[in-house]
Amino acid sequence: MRIKGFDKHYYLMLLPGYLWLIVFSIIPMFGIAISFQYFNPGKGIFGSDWAGLEHFRYMFVLKDTREVFVNTLIIAVLKIVTNLVVPLVFALMLNELRQMILKRWIQTVVYLPHFLSWVILGGIVLDIFSYNGPINQLGALLGFKPVLFFAQAELFPWLVVGSDVWKEFGFNTIIYLAALTGINPALYEAAGMDGAGRWRSLWHITLPGIQTTVVLLAVLSLGNVLNAGFDQIFNLYNPLVYSTGDIIDTWVYRTGLLNLQYELATAVGLLKSVIGFILISISYYLAYRLINYRIF
Amino acid sequence: MKRKVSMTGMVLLSAALMLGACGSPEKSAEPAAGEAAAPNSEPADPYGRYDEPTTISIGMQVDPTDKDLPAGDTPLDNQYTRQVKEALNVQVEHAFTASAANMRQKISLAIASNDLPDALVVNAVELRQMVAAGQLADLTEVYNRYASPEIKDIIEKTNGVALKSVTFDGKMYAIPGVQADADGIHIMWIRQDWLDKLGLEPPKSMEELETVARAFVEKDPDGNGSADTIGISGPQSGDGKMYANFLESKNNLYGFDPVFSAYGSFPGFWLDNGGSPVYGSIQPETKEALAGLRDLYAKGLIDPEMAVRAASDEPIINGKSGIFFAPWWMGYGPLTNAVKNNAKADWQAYALPLNADGAFQPHAATPSTEFVVVRKDYGHPEIPMKMLNNLFKNEMENTFDPSKGGPGFYPLRVVFAPSDEIEFTNKAVKEVLAGTKTKEDFADARSYKLLPSDLDSIKTIKQEPYDKWNIETWTPDADWGAWTRAYSMMVGGNPLVETEMEKVKSLIYEQTPLMESRWVNLKKMEDEMFLKIVMGVAPIDSFDQFVEDWKRQGGEQITKEVAEALQ
Amino acid sequence: MIRDRTWGSRLTDIGLLVILITITLTCVLPIWYTLVLSLSSNSAAASGQVWLWPVGFNLNAYTQILKDTQFFGSFWISVQRVALGAALNFVVVLLMAYPLSRTSRQFRARGILMWILVFCMLFNGGLIPLYLTVKQLGMLNSIWALVLVGGAQTLVFNVILTVNFFRNLPKELDEAALVDGAGPWYSLIKIYLPLAVPVLATITLFSIVYHWNEFLYGLIFMTREQYYPLQTYIQQMVVSVDPSTMSEDQYRRLSELSNRTLDAAKIFVAMLPVMIVYPFLQRYFIHGITLGSVKE
Repeated sequence: MRIKGFDKHYYLMLLPGYLWLIVFSIIPMFGIAISFQYFNPGKGIFGSDWAGLEHFRYMFVLKDTREVFVNTLIIAVLKIVTNLVVPLVFALMLNELRQMILKRWIQTVVYLPHFLSWVILGGIVLDIFSYNGPINQLGALLGFKPVLFFAQAELFPWLVVGSDVWKEFGFNTIIYLAALTGINPALYEAAGMDGAGRWRSLWHITLPGIQTTVVLLAVLSLGNVLNAGFDQIFNLYNPLVYSTGDIIDTWVYRTGLLNLQYELATAVGLLKSVIGFILISISYYLAYRLINYRIF
Repeated sequence: MKRKVSMTGMVLLSAALMLGACGSPEKSAEPAAGEAAAPNSEPADPYGRYDEPTTISIGMQVDPTDKDLPAGDTPLDNQYTRQVKEALNVQVEHAFTASAANMRQKISLAIASNDLPDALVVNAVELRQMVAAGQLADLTEVYNRYASPEIKDIIEKTNGVALKSVTFDGKMYAIPGVQADADGIHIMWIRQDWLDKLGLEPPKSMEELETVARAFVEKDPDGNGSADTIGISGPQSGDGKMYANFLESKNNLYGFDPVFSAYGSFPGFWLDNGGSPVYGSIQPETKEALAGLRDLYAKGLIDPEMAVRAASDEPIINGKSGIFFAPWWMGYGPLTNAVKNNAKADWQAYALPLNADGAFQPHAATPSTEFVVVRKDYGHPEIPMKMLNNLFKNEMENTFDPSKGGPGFYPLRVVFAPSDEIEFTNKAVKEVLAGTKTKEDFADARSYKLLPSDLDSIKTIKQEPYDKWNIETWTPDADWGAWTRAYSMMVGGNPLVETEMEKVKSLIYEQTPLMESRWVNLKKMEDEMFLKIVMGVAPIDSFDQFVEDWKRQGGEQITKEVAEALQ
Repeated sequence: MIRDRTWGSRLTDIGLLVILITITLTCVLPIWYTLVLSLSSNSAAASGQVWLWPVGFNLNAYTQILKDTQFFGSFWISVQRVALGAALNFVVVLLMAYPLSRTSRQFRARGILMWILVFCMLFNGGLIPLYLTVKQLGMLNSIWALVLVGGAQTLVFNVILTVNFFRNLPKELDEAALVDGAGPWYSLIKIYLPLAVPVLATITLFSIVYHWNEFLYGLIFMTREQYYPLQTYIQQMVVSVDPSTMSEDQYRRLSELSNRTLDAAKIFVAMLPVMIVYPFLQRYFIHGITLGSVKE
C-alpha cells in the first residue's frame, strides 16, 4: 500500500545514486552523437557536421563488423552454456563428497581464480600454453609435437572459453551448492527406503530440486550474449586469431582509440547497446513468463 | 515527481553546455611575445634566452620501470630539463606521460578530446588528423626564422621530402625529424661463429639461406646437445610486422624484409608500374615470396613461435637464434645483451640474400616519421624549435652524459641525423683507424654531431687487426656505451658502405584522404592473411582471394586516389 | 542422507575424490607456477627451464620490488581506491535498493526508475566523452575518477542484486514496521540494514574485487605513471611494444627492462591481498548471492 509522504523520502534516498549515474553515465552518452557525424575533434561534438547514417551503412558492408559480431556471439554463447553446465556438474560431485572438511577446502580453493584479474591471469595463461610452457612439455613427454596454442585461430575461442570456465566455475558452483542444501533431506531418506540408488536419487530428487535455479541463471545470462569479455580477450589475443577472437569490445577499443576512427567505433558500440537492450528486455519477459520471476 | 523531472532536465542542459564548451578551445592563449606577433621573416636568434621564465607543457614518453636516471632525478627534473631551463629559461611541464606501449592511446585521447599539450611529438597519421581538425599552429615562420643552420641543412638535404611531409596547403604544421637513410635498410644479422663452426658461408641466395638455416636448426650449433636452436627469427606478437610498409617504413625488427626483396617483392609499398601506382602487397612476386616463407616455416627453419612469442629478442639474447633481419643499429637492439650473455656470440651483418639477378635491392624509407607539433593558440610557438636547436647544439658539444639518463629524456626530442650519417661515420672511423686521417680533418662536418666522440673512443674498444670486425677484435668491457654505438656503426654499417644497392622507394609515404577511414581495415586483412599463409593456416591460393577482397573493399579506389595525389 | 555402502559406491567415492582433487589442483597450480617463477633465476626463467620447483632459487626479484617506489605507490593507490570505492558503493546501493524494492503500488515511479538503471548499464558513449566529463570535473589524475567512473559502471548490477534480496525478505517486516509507525529511514536502518548483511557483504566483495582488478581507467584518466593503480602498472609492464614507433635508444632501454622473474614477483604480490581477504568474507557472500538471485 502507498503511504503519502513516503515518496519524498524515497527520492531523497535515490538522489545520490541517480546523481552519480547522471554525471558518469548519462551525460557521457552525448558521445553517441559521434556515430552520426563527421567528427572533427577541433570543433567538438556540437560543432561537427552531420553524416546521417553513413557510418552505419559502412559498418554493414564492412567484413570486420560481421566477423566481430559473430565472434562475440559464438564466444559468449559458449561461455554461457559451459558456465551453466560445468559448475552444475562440479556442484553435484562435490555434494556427493562425505568428508566435510575437504569439501569446504575444495569449495574455497576452486573459486580463488575468480578473484584474480585478467591482467594477471592472461600473463599466466599465455605462459602455460607457450611453446616451451608446461602444457607443451607435458605433451612432449607423451610424444606430441609442440603446438602454438595461441596462434591457432580455430583453437582460440575454445581456449578463451576454457580459461573463462576455469576462472569462474568455482564461483558459480556456490550458487548451485546453496540451492542443493535447500533440498529437503527427508526426500533422500524416503528414496533410500524405497531402495533408490545414487543415480536415481540424483535424477529424481536433486535435479528437479534445482531446476528453477538453472532456468533462472540461464535466463539471466541472456543479457550477456554480447559480452564476450573485454578484459580477458584484450590480454590474450594477437593478430593471428583476430578472425575468430576479435570481439565487439576489443574491436571498438582498437578502432576508436588506437586507429582514430571514432565515428565507426561509436556506431558499432551503439549497435551493441541496442541489441543488448533488446535481449535484456526479452529475458525480463521470459523470466516473468517461465518462472514467474521479476529480474528487477 | 514533477519537480524531479525538471531538475533532471536542468542537469542535462547544463551538461550539454558543459560539453559544448569543451568543443572550442578555451585555454586562453598567453600573450604572444612581441617579436613573434608581427609577421616577419627576419632571422631570429635560434638559441635566444627568454627574460621572463616561460613554461611549455608537453606529452612525453616515459617508462615507469626505467631506472636510468640517477637518484633524485625525475623525468621532469634531470640534466636535460635543467639545461633547457638554464639555456632558454623555459620550464618544461608534463601534460601527460605514458609508456611506449600506451603513448599512441594517450595521444589519440588528447586529439579526440581537443585537450592538447602545448607541444607534442606525433607520427604521420596523427599529424594528418590534427591538421584536419585544425588543432595545430602554423610553424612556417617559426621554422624560417628560428631553425638553426645545422637543422635546416639536414632537413633541406632530404630533397624536400621532409618538408613535404609536414606541409599542408602551403603551410608547415610541424617540425619534421630526420633520420638516417640507414634506418630503412634491413639487412641480415647472422651468427658468424656458428657459420664457422659448421663450415658454412653466409647465404647469398634463398637456396643457400635454406641450407644455412637447416644446419642451424639441425646441427646443434650451440653445442649443448639438444636441438633447441632457431634458424631464422620472426616477428613478435602484438605489433611485430613481417615487413615495413609505406606508413612505417623503417626499423622493422625481426621481419623478413630482405627475403621479400630477394623475390622482387615489396609488400606494403606503393610501386611504379609503367607510370601508374600499384600496391606491392597484391603483386604476384609477393605471392611467390609468401610461398617461399611458408615453405621455410613448414620445414621448421623459421621460429615456430613467430608472431606469438612476446619478445623476439629473447632467443637472440639467449643464444638460441642464428639469423634475424633488422637495420644497422642492432648494438642498441638485442646484441648488447647477447654479447653480455656470451662474449663469443659473433653477430655479423650482410646485405643478403640477393635476388635472382644477384643484386641486393632493399626498400627505402621516408626520412621523417616523427614530428614536433605545436598547439594552435600557444603563445610561444617558437619554443619547441629553440629546444630542438638547443638539443642539437649540445649533442654536438657533447654536453650531456648519457649514463645519467639517455637522450630520450630530453623533452620533445626527435632525431636530426644527416641522411648518410652511418655511412659517413663508418668511413671516417676506418680512415682514422688506418691512420690516413685524424679527428681534425673532420672538424667542419658539424652536422655529424657524434662523430668527434666516436673518433675519440674507437680505439678503447676496437683492437687490431683494424680490417676485421669479428667479436674477438672488440673489447666491449672497456666501455659498453661506446661499444654499442661503434659496433652498430661498423658491423651494421659495413654492408651499407660496401654494397652497391638499388633502393626501392614507395611512391608515397603518407595517407590519402580515403585511407583515413579505410586503410586500417585493409591492412588488418592483409596482415592477417599473410601471417596465416606463412604459418600454413591458410592455403597459398587464398592470396588470390585476398587480392580480390582488397580491391573490392576500397583498395581500388585508394589506388586511384594515390594516382591523383601523384599528379 | 542415508545410503548403502556397497563396494561400487566406495569406488565411485574414490573416483569422485580423485577428480575433485585434480580439478582443485588445476586452480592452484598456475598460482604456484607464478610463485616458483618469481623465485627462480632470471636466465632459467627466460629459457623456460622452470616448472614446478624454483631453479636457481633466489629472492632478488622481491628485494628489487622492495626498492621499487612506483610499485608501492601504485599499491597504495589501489588500496585507497578499493576502500573509497567499496565504502561509497555500500552506502549508495543501500540507499537506492530500499526504495526500489518497494512494490509499484508503494512507490509508483519504481518501474521507470528501474528501467533507467538498466539503460545506464547498457548504453555508453564511449571513452572519449567519458574522458571529457572527467576532465571538466577536474578529476584527471584524481583517485575520484577511478572510484566514481568505475563505481558508476558496477553500481546498477549491485543495486539490482540488493533489490532482489530485499524483495525476498518476508512481507511481514513491512507491515510490522507500519504498525509501529516507523518511517522509511527508520525501517531502512533499523529493520533492513541488519538483515541485509549477507547481500551487503557480497556487493562489497564484488566492489573490492572490481576496483582492485580494473586497469583500463587507470590508463585513460591518469596522465602520469605515479597516479597509476597497481593493475595498470602491471598491465603496461607486460604488454609488448612495436619497435618501429621507437627510436633506437628508447628500444635499448626497454629491452634492458624485460625481466621475467621480476614480472612474476610483481604479479604474485598483486594477487596477495585478494587471496588473503576473500576466504574471510565467503561466509557472508554465499548467502548474499543465493538469496539475492534465487527465490524460495
